[in-house]
Amino acid sequence: MTKRLIGYVVLGVAAILVQKFLDDFASINLVSPQVVILFVIFLALREGQLFGMGGGFVVGLLHDLLTTHFLGYTSFVGVIAGFIAGFFYKESDAELAGKTFNFAWISAITLFFSELLALPIIAAGELNYFYVFLKFTLGTTVYTSVFAMIIVFVNGKKSRYV
Amino acid sequence: MFKWISEFFSLAKNYIVFALLLSLSLFMISTNNNVHTRGLQVIGLVTTSYLEAGVNDVLSYFSLASKNKELQEENAHLIDMTARIRRALIENQQLRSMLALKSQSTTVLIPANVIGRTSEGGKYFVTLDAGSNDGVHISDPVITGSGLVGIVIAVSSDFSLVRTLLDSDSRIAARLVNASADGLIVAGGFGELAMKNVSRRYSVKTGDIVETSTLSSLVPPGIVIGVVSKATEETGDIFKHIEVQPAVDFTSISAAFVMQYSRPAEAVKLETKNLPKHK
Repeated sequence: MTKRLIGYVVLGVAAILVQKFLDDFASINLVSPQVVILFVIFLALREGQLFGMGGGFVVGLLHDLLTTHFLGYTSFVGVIAGFIAGFFYKESDAELAGKTFNFAWISAITLFFSELLALPIIAAGELNYFYVFLKFTLGTTVYTSVFAMIIVFVNGKKSRYV
Repeated sequence: MFKWISEFFSLAKNYIVFALLLSLSLFMISTNNNVHTRGLQVIGLVTTSYLEAGVNDVLSYFSLASKNKELQEENAHLIDMTARIRRALIENQQLRSMLALKSQSTTVLIPANVIGRTSEGGKYFVTLDAGSNDGVHISDPVITGSGLVGIVIAVSSDFSLVRTLLDSDSRIAARLVNASADGLIVAGGFGELAMKNVSRRYSVKTGDIVETSTLSSLVPPGIVIGVVSKATEETGDIFKHIEVQPAVDFTSISAAFVMQYSRPAEAVKLETKNLPKHK
């Protein structure tokens, strides 16, 4: 377990660095793929709901501290993502997390509801909720889901699941 | 009883942990403008800024040729502009002496490179490679040749964090040049800004210039913010709905200037002395 935990820590830090890179270079109109949340979904599918929520909180907080400088937001979305994705956890399928297209649609559902619940925080003081919903909730969900499909395609092909 | 409680906790532990972590996150969100949280933000800023500065150096090496060409073009443009400003300055000095106006103090500009951009959940910050060692202070305005970028909200010795106009917490007092109407510039949707609190009695047209207002305590007046891209009125609303296209392209900004701006000491002293204090 210790070895696996170290692996998750390394992967988590890598996800934060990739997220930072994507924020700088792959952001479309301030919307970028949420790799950190994809990592949280992966954690929840691999280890279960409790681990996903804890991981979501820790990696989200680290991400906020190091890159967004707005403490609490990513940890909030991360905890919700870990909670929702945890419902899809199946011990027998844990090893397949991130390798089959199940990961892509689970990510889409999880992201949509996580970002939707975070909408009041993003749209605080903004009158046009629908505008913010279109941009951040739907935009982030679609962009990140496409990214999840690419991950599945590359990862699944390597392990011959796709 | 104890057995019942332990059974309840084992059954509901996921929900309890979920509620606890969510509450903790919300608590942190609510304390983001707190002094202690600012300290944490500065620690995070320092940690990542050195890494970003390194990456930026490597990336800028590969784009030196195109950057050089860009700078040459900008240089030619600036030479032309300097000549025009010089003429305007002479004219201004003549007019000032004629009107016996007090000469305004010149604002010190601190050059800085943008080494990081962060956009998430309506938050939009940029990181600059100039900090307190260079003379940057919290609340200093940041500009480019195109216009206002934002306000410094955290400073370390070598870096500073700037809240841009696109950030959902940004509020800047602004003025519509043609209509002479004051309002508040806030983040709008899809990379645009919105100008609020402008009464519908003013005539506002697409293309009208928006600049910083004399009412702002953070930013000197007359800095371009953007141009009006849409102005509408809704029945029952006493204010206009104004969308503003920012003058600065926040997605490609690579260098900026931090202004060492402070309001005239005499004006601040007068206000402190005469205005009632908020308790």
